[in-house]
Amino acid sequence: MMKSGWFARAARSASIPEHPEAQQPFVNWKADTIMSLPNRDTIIAIGLLFFTGVLIWASFDIRSPDYGTLAPSAWPRSVLGILLVFGLIYLFQSLRASPAVAGTEESDARGGLMGWFVKYRNPLWCYLIYFLFLATLPFFGALIGGILLVFFLLSVLGGFAPKKLLLHGAIATISMGAMWSIFTFGLRVILPRGSLFEVI
Amino acid sequence: MLIENLLGAFAEIGNIQTLAFMVIGATAGLISGAIPGFTIAMAVVLTLPFTFGMPPAQGIATMIGVFVGGLSGGLMSGILTGIPGTPSSVATTFDGFPMARNGDPGFALGLGVWASFFGGIISAILLIAVAPQLARVGLEFQPWDYFSLVFFALTITASLAGQNLIKGLIAGALGLLIATFGEDDINGVSRFDFGVEYLQEGFAFLPVLIGLFAFSRLMTDVRDPKTATMALTEMQDVSIRIEHRRAALTVLKSWGNLIRSSLIGVFTGILPAAGSSISNVLAYDQAKKASRTPEKFGSGFADGIIAPESANNATAGGSLITMMALGIPGDIITAVMLGALLIHDVIPSPSFITEAPVLAYSIFLAFFIANFLVLGLQSGALKLFVLVTRVRMYVLAAVILAYCGIGVFALHNIVSDIWTLFIFGIVGYILRNLGFPLAPVILGVVLGPIAEKWLSRSLAISTDVSLFFTQPWSLFFVIASVFSLLFTLYQRDRGKKPWTRFYPPALMLSLSVPLFMMGGVVRPVVATGLIAFGLYLLYRAQKTQTATES
Repeated sequence: MMKSGWFARAARSASIPEHPEAQQPFVNWKADTIMSLPNRDTIIAIGLLFFTGVLIWASFDIRSPDYGTLAPSAWPRSVLGILLVFGLIYLFQSLRASPAVAGTEESDARGGLMGWFVKYRNPLWCYLIYFLFLATLPFFGALIGGILLVFFLLSVLGGFAPKKLLLHGAIATISMGAMWSIFTFGLRVILPRGSLFEVI
Repeated sequence: MLIENLLGAFAEIGNIQTLAFMVIGATAGLISGAIPGFTIAMAVVLTLPFTFGMPPAQGIATMIGVFVGGLSGGLMSGILTGIPGTPSSVATTFDGFPMARNGDPGFALGLGVWASFFGGIISAILLIAVAPQLARVGLEFQPWDYFSLVFFALTITASLAGQNLIKGLIAGALGLLIATFGEDDINGVSRFDFGVEYLQEGFAFLPVLIGLFAFSRLMTDVRDPKTATMALTEMQDVSIRIEHRRAALTVLKSWGNLIRSSLIGVFTGILPAAGSSISNVLAYDQAKKASRTPEKFGSGFADGIIAPESANNATAGGSLITMMALGIPGDIITAVMLGALLIHDVIPSPSFITEAPVLAYSIFLAFFIANFLVLGLQSGALKLFVLVTRVRMYVLAAVILAYCGIGVFALHNIVSDIWTLFIFGIVGYILRNLGFPLAPVILGVVLGPIAEKWLSRSLAISTDVSLFFTQPWSLFFVIASVFSLLFTLYQRDRGKKPWTRFYPPALMLSLSVPLFMMGGVVRPVVATGLIAFGLYLLYRAQKTQTATES
């Protein structure tokens, strides 16, 4: 009567390797080479400590007014102190953990930088398109910019076949048109108009 | 007083416009709860932008509609596809899916719908009865007590951390840190702006929330090109009719199971960080243990649907009790609700019910009404759900991403909020991929400014730090915080390491000290009871220890 769908397939593809044997050469490679590399958690911990250090340094630039009992820098410094302690514990834990169990994902390492780009190409495209949407928002405005955003996101994620492009165009126009109308007329929000309209 | 407040609340939300928004909210909640991979928290987060322009009561009522709808929506996909729409419906699939597969999907859905309804109503009654009583305690609080209470709420991050405690704690601290950027509320001094104008105002709560939670979640959903282009679920049979009459009678006949499960749900909801994802499994387990025919569980047994569904809806009432009475969020959804109250300039605190009784009772009433609305909307939502499941994931993601941008712009009408959304969309995705839980970050962002405010007020009255340990309520929360931090370790090591046997008695004995300090009659009596029970547990722990050693 019914079949499992997207969620089950996603879960399957995310967690269960189809051919366990195919993973074997990689595992051996990992065991041979990983000993000389710091594990992922160690790198994150060092990055976190560096970030904390920068902010602690920046906290000395916070102006202290003559009024008030609690200095404006006191609370952030307390939080940074806690973060520093947690960061050190995290670093210590990551150094104690064996490289085999430390958080390096197999597929991250496979294929180097190119493999990483392939694995994360969809999110990377989405972020790039969103960035362009934001950068061009003052020119295109929310309506045109939004339609272009949805259209390009749909096409990058769903494919560029002519029939699909037509469908994506329709979805983008209808969905953004509806959203724009609800916010503009229903909620009385003045969305960015864009200089393109002023030129026209 | 109760009637007066309820009438005031009814005037606030008993109008066509608010009810219409609640219907839309409940339908949206039902659909998003039914879609596997979409959480209730995400649905509530995405509702927030629509509520800015509304009066606080209307906005919160709409969000409660989404909340209750989401809890009930999870049962549809759980029963029809065997895949729970939300973690709160996991146990529903144990018997719901077999019953549907055995040719009785309409009855299975009916049981779920009616159990959810009754569970919700029981918890709504308890919410109205208990929250105001509990809130009276809040009137005794002084700034030190408030700060310690918020500190206690922050320690919940440890429980929300999941497998990796330290990552959860780091995530919570990062949330606190995010909230310190920009102009501080107390002195008006800019912090961590690095001379950049954008950073001088700090990060608004909503773009941070939507970026961390929704944006990054959508990126996770479309990461795999194959799964991104698939339909959400594939359902072919759409001609299912919910058997209301038969199901309602069966649920009422199983009243013992219904009440027990609802109480489990309410109690789990009251406990910070223990939400509906726990209560449904807990209630299922208890129903099976209490049943005369436990062997029938798992094969499509009615009690196996009634227990988890009544419990998960009742949990909502429980978590609202904590939020309303103490002003602290019990889980991520109530954290979002608190954030919504802040956006509407309502400061959540233990005196909230006393200071804003009409708004508080509007929330109670909205929760009550939402359960009726969801009951009525289930049949229609089922048809809509079947339609929505045919949509491809990437289509939903693209449209929602655009909506996120427009939605956060509506908060202050400034484009920089969309940049904040974008930045925290990236931050959230990185944190997710590195294994950091996001719920503690949200909790930190919401509670950070509140904690700083109360700390400042405490120190303005007296710079004596020992007051945090000598004021009875403050000491009570400090002790609770210590045990809350240790709770994750206790859960992990329970039954494996000897120290865990002494955790419960130590907690009881410790909490009795501030209760004695409070004076009066009731509290010392409660403290004596705690000591007696603690000593009994200590005796048992010692006995077990001796038996193990010998």
